[in-house]
Amino acid sequence: MYGWKGKVLRVNLTNKKIAVETPGLNRYRRFLGGRGLGASFLWEEVGKDISPLSAENKLIFMTGSLTGTDVTASERFTVTSKSPLTGTVFDGNSGGKWGVMLKKAGYDGLIIEGKSPSPVYLVVNGQEVLIKDAGNLWGMDVMETTSSILGIEGPGYSVACIGPAGENQVKIACIVNDITRPISRGGLGAVMGSKGLKAIAVQGNMEITVADREKLGFILYETNKWIKANPITSQGLPDFGSPVLVNLINDCGLLPAYNFQESQFAHADNISGETLAEKYCIKSAGCYKCPINCLKVTKTPNDSGEGPDYETIWAFGPQCGIHDLEIIIEATYLCVRLGLDTISAGATIGCAMEMTEKGIMDAGIRFGESTKLKPLLQDIAYKKGTGGELADGARLLASRFKAEDYAVHVKGLEIPAYDPRGAKGMGLGFATSNKGGSHLSAYTIATEILGVPKMIDRLSFDGKAGLTIFHQNMTAVLDSIILCRYLALAVSTEYFARMVTAVTGEKFQSQDLYQIGERIWNLEKLYNLREGFTAEDDTLPKRLLEQPVKKGPSKGHVVELEPMLEDYYRFRGWDNNGIPYDNKLCELGLEGKLSDV
Amino acid sequence: MYREFKQIGRDLFLQGVNNSHSGNISVRLGDRIIITRRGAMLGNLNKTDLIETGLDKNDSRIVLASTEIGVHRSIYKNTSALAIVHAHPVYATALSLVEDEIIPVDSEGQYIFHKIPVIGFEYTVGSAEVARVLPDYLKEYKIVMVRGHGSFAVGQLLEEAYQWTSSLENVCKIIYLTRTMRGELKENKSQNYIKW
Repeated sequence: MYGWKGKVLRVNLTNKKIAVETPGLNRYRRFLGGRGLGASFLWEEVGKDISPLSAENKLIFMTGSLTGTDVTASERFTVTSKSPLTGTVFDGNSGGKWGVMLKKAGYDGLIIEGKSPSPVYLVVNGQEVLIKDAGNLWGMDVMETTSSILGIEGPGYSVACIGPAGENQVKIACIVNDITRPISRGGLGAVMGSKGLKAIAVQGNMEITVADREKLGFILYETNKWIKANPITSQGLPDFGSPVLVNLINDCGLLPAYNFQESQFAHADNISGETLAEKYCIKSAGCYKCPINCLKVTKTPNDSGEGPDYETIWAFGPQCGIHDLEIIIEATYLCVRLGLDTISAGATIGCAMEMTEKGIMDAGIRFGESTKLKPLLQDIAYKKGTGGELADGARLLASRFKAEDYAVHVKGLEIPAYDPRGAKGMGLGFATSNKGGSHLSAYTIATEILGVPKMIDRLSFDGKAGLTIFHQNMTAVLDSIILCRYLALAVSTEYFARMVTAVTGEKFQSQDLYQIGERIWNLEKLYNLREGFTAEDDTLPKRLLEQPVKKGPSKGHVVELEPMLEDYYRFRGWDNNGIPYDNKLCELGLEGKLSDV
Repeated sequence: MYREFKQIGRDLFLQGVNNSHSGNISVRLGDRIIITRRGAMLGNLNKTDLIETGLDKNDSRIVLASTEIGVHRSIYKNTSALAIVHAHPVYATALSLVEDEIIPVDSEGQYIFHKIPVIGFEYTVGSAEVARVLPDYLKEYKIVMVRGHGSFAVGQLLEEAYQWTSSLENVCKIIYLTRTMRGELKENKSQNYIKW
């Protein structure tokens, strides 16, 4: 095989059994790698009603078809599992060295199953796979854990680990690789913690062979031309990182503030990408061989680190009514060390703030109380006091007080940073996402705000079903081959097909990739149906459906979900209940799977 | 401002010097630039297609600005231009592929331009190299052709830069027509402008 290694490592932490499997070319062709392969393993191995934090759940690390090659922004890997936060199929991906190291150790993926009776960490390299005692590491934060393991195993390793939040099975805990790269959402860190797995250290130096290096070189030359030409990838992201969106999204009237009570934030400029670059950024950094350099290395008087990104600024900023950028930056550093998802943490705190102000609960923190933010994050990670109530995310917090309308979420995952009343495609994308309120399932902001490939009317719901489906399917492809989605802002899908063909030697055209994306999306949908999710779950919080935006450019708008959803199901080849028709499943090679639902 | 952009964008399209989505136009207002949005249709501009950003410094609006923002900025910073029209005139672009400079054979073209430099680059779209090299030429000439890509014209007003673009395309059509007729020019003053 070219591109792929053809082998997946399986480690059972209950019986310490280690095995190597070969998924076979056909499976790779059908699912590409990353999220696609992850979903296919999860579908087969984690059946209905398995508790996400039980030994029966699995944690599936997968590299993509392009991981470790010369392709720009391709050094990524995904983690797939059943989420303890949503109960759905869930995936997240990350850059850094970890994915490349895993593939260079000879494996396309690593499936963790079972549960260790005592804390362990895993060492994977080209020669051996070892399960080691992590008793001394348990309790350490992400930075301490990584440093300790590198000290023991050697600096050539790359480490993915959990912090205290994952150990304590906080449902909004994340996994962090290479010290600063979180696989943020869905509580995958809690799954890792539930298995007693503190960290995975990987190292490898095997060659990743490419079928047609000359052709790949030419495709990358053409790709880099567009990256350099496009102001998003050549100027906006390199200068400001994703926080370039703060002022832009605010100007358009879709920057949610005060737990989505407002759609603009009066202090946006204080927390903008411009302010971050001017006052706190000490240098830009990027992923391996990526010229975009969107990562911002920042420094405050007390601390230094990477980030925050746009969604994190929103979570600790407008969502919590906080406009002290220094506090937001330091809260970001803290979350990474604790292994806590910044978006869910900020979103849940904002929810608690509103409930406190409305007299529903007393979380001890109100909008704008920035000095209380970091201590509360610490408490969430350790499930202490009020923090313990917030540790399960906004949905469970609000439902405990019978105040469900205050939790702005879909399927239990908090909606971040984009008020869909000001960008209707995002509304449909959030509602229909297989993993809940994720902005990354269908980033229609690219089209509705950034004009990629062309600008469309963000306030109209007309045509948004087709747009959302396109984004969902193509994102499933990007997450499987695996490429950073910023690349899709500069080049079209045709480039991706050419890249995969040149790397793997298997012929793919953009239509083939699109169909694979559709296959992955439908398989994930089937997974959720099997878990008991229905069309009633494809919805948005009442606030977004019924309460019009009060002022600003999106004034008077709500999300007209019903007509969009009707079109969406029809265009997907699903019935009115959101269940795929047999002929659609046959077309995608998923025949017979509906009977398992 | 919007009306002027809309009118000139429309005229550029109707004359055929831009296709549906090609070209971009801008004006300088002190240390700010107003430039057309990336991917905007010049023949059908909306108010939201006008993007204001910094002359020197980027801000969040940069992600919406035309792909050629870097070239526009560089021209403004290094010349006295206050308006720029970038277009993809078909005859001029064709001629740029076979000539190192375009020397008008018609009288109006000779009066206005004398000659038009043609410059070749490895990267032609949103190119840092174009941004570095072009201003020097535009200190001496009203309009310059980037080989195989298109024209950059400067003026104090948008209409002025539009005129140079429109006239250049006429110059090139006349050259093309006279060459296809294969007849010898009865009077050829173009040699006088080689050293211009």
